[in-house]
Amino acid sequence: MDSSGFIDLFDEWTDSALEWVSDNGEFLFDSIRQVLEGLYAGILWLLELPPFYLIALIVALVGWRLVNVWFALLSGVALALCFSMGLWPETMSTLALVLTATTLALVIGIPIGIMAGFFPALDRFMEPGLDLIQTLPPYIYLLPAIALLGYGPATALIATVIVAVPPAIRLTSLGIRMTPKEFIELGEALGMTPAKMFFKIRLPFALPSIMAGINQSLMMAFGMVVIAGIVGSGGLGETIYGAIRTLDIATSINGAIAIVVLTMVLDRITQSAARLGTGRKS
Amino acid sequence: MKTVTADINDVLIDCQSLWKVFGDKSAAAMKSIKERGLGKKEVLKEYNCVVGVSEASLQVRRGEIFCIMGLSGSGKSTLIRLLNKLITPSAGKVLVKGRDLAALSPVDLRQMRARNIGMVFQSVALLPHRTVLENAAFGLEVQGITKPERNKTAVAALEKVGLADWVNRYPGELSGGMQQRVGLARALASDPEIILMDEPFSALDPLIRRQLQDEFRQLTKALGKSAVFITHDLDEAIRIGDRIAIMKDGVIIQTGTAEEIILNPADAYVAEFVAGISRLHLIKAHSVMRSVAEFQQSAPNSDIASLARTTPDADIDELITLTMQSERDAIAVVDNGQIVGVVTPRSLLMGVKGPSAHDLPAASTNWS
Repeated sequence: MDSSGFIDLFDEWTDSALEWVSDNGEFLFDSIRQVLEGLYAGILWLLELPPFYLIALIVALVGWRLVNVWFALLSGVALALCFSMGLWPETMSTLALVLTATTLALVIGIPIGIMAGFFPALDRFMEPGLDLIQTLPPYIYLLPAIALLGYGPATALIATVIVAVPPAIRLTSLGIRMTPKEFIELGEALGMTPAKMFFKIRLPFALPSIMAGINQSLMMAFGMVVIAGIVGSGGLGETIYGAIRTLDIATSINGAIAIVVLTMVLDRITQSAARLGTGRKS
Repeated sequence: MKTVTADINDVLIDCQSLWKVFGDKSAAAMKSIKERGLGKKEVLKEYNCVVGVSEASLQVRRGEIFCIMGLSGSGKSTLIRLLNKLITPSAGKVLVKGRDLAALSPVDLRQMRARNIGMVFQSVALLPHRTVLENAAFGLEVQGITKPERNKTAVAALEKVGLADWVNRYPGELSGGMQQRVGLARALASDPEIILMDEPFSALDPLIRRQLQDEFRQLTKALGKSAVFITHDLDEAIRIGDRIAIMKDGVIIQTGTAEEIILNPADAYVAEFVAGISRLHLIKAHSVMRSVAEFQQSAPNSDIASLARTTPDADIDELITLTMQSERDAIAVVDNGQIVGVVTPRSLLMGVKGPSAHDLPAASTNWS
């Protein structure tokens, strides 16, 4: 058998396996899809409830508290710009997608990361998998997702969660493993229970790393959510994808600006929250 | 080493033939040491294990400050961690207040650590995101004591170490010496009977170190605590300790008071250590005096009754001052109204110089 025959066999096998999963797991995938879309719809509903200026004002206020006055003014103005470009609903649905996907990624990633921090064997076991997820081109995840969940935000969410999970696992595990030895000793000498050791010593010391993981997850999610425009995610990703297909350069640039605004605002706010949450230094 | 004559209730920590062997095959290595009398080198070669502490026995009595002195790698830090089972011994027993640590349940062991044994670390280990007060109250917080109560106790502990004005600062704002005081306050706040001090002052500059040494001794005595104090500095051990154990290569080579160790070093290694120590305030009249009969033999015309007098506890410094003030060249040592001995310039010189190293057994080689 020559190599192309072997490859054909492999491809055939992959296709039929996917088909089998899709046929037999219909009920499962339908419920996954409903849960994901429900979550997304709920968050989107919340974000669309207040008028745009209220959201801009809230973001500016948070920015002022966490970063500084200049950042607050700039982020307020930048969000107003998104509105004036006529992209407010798209901006909000992108934000809803990112928030939903990141939340799911953290709910999955942080507990696994904590486990991996305690059990080095688990960490070593997951390492190649995480490497694989992070090195494959991200749109690869869209294809199996679209086969199983169909066209729409649920597919975009699944693909985004896959991409956003690895940094959360990695940095949480790292943070747990990096607890300084002398503080473990202190905890033991004070007669701490394992639970108290975790909450009073390990977690506080892991917090900066976990926060960095949250920030990284968020950034990965932003990157993926735009790509997911191809599978009908809605939001700015779809706007840009549509504009590219019709060579509508102006709209694609508007969409890109809105993405950049959203990304930078969330990046700076989470970074500052991380710094603040981890207490003072020096 | 003197045998312990004190009541068993007065021994707070009793270590019996403690061993700690580090390595993957430590159990097998320990067995071979016991059965075949393997040495340190053979253990490393055959089992790839390191002997941290070997055959260490010591008793810490109530109200005593017990110093363990040794250079780095002597096993002193391992030994102190065996005392609250931060490290589990490979062989031997640790009794704290008469209870065998190995027989305690995890819950009882945690209780023992939380209530009875405080510990202060060289690295201080203050939580950087908590204030001085929160750090001092940390041990009590772990024990589940309510906030108002633990803050009250912690403030009192901080007052004892002179940091009452710093309660709301963060550790990063404090100097090294002050941070170590917070570490001590944290240990004192739980009101333990025993405080384990793991080289607490080693990283501090000499002036601050001396000040903290004196304060620590005063405070421990005033509060009636017992302490085990690890140091690599013999001066520090002498300044702080009621008794001193000297460690080398995992073995305790001598235990005794500073005076006992300086007058009778167990081997050349100890002698070399004590050679640099100023003996002026450590050697007392009762150790250097000659007997009355001996004195009368060498100076038959001397009238003992008219000599200047002093007590057996007078140190060499005082004796020299007395000798220089006196017109006669001898001083009578009086205990309970009786002349028990005579100090001559010759005995003073002997006391200052000490025995020469040649007269002593060579450094013990059984473990090197």
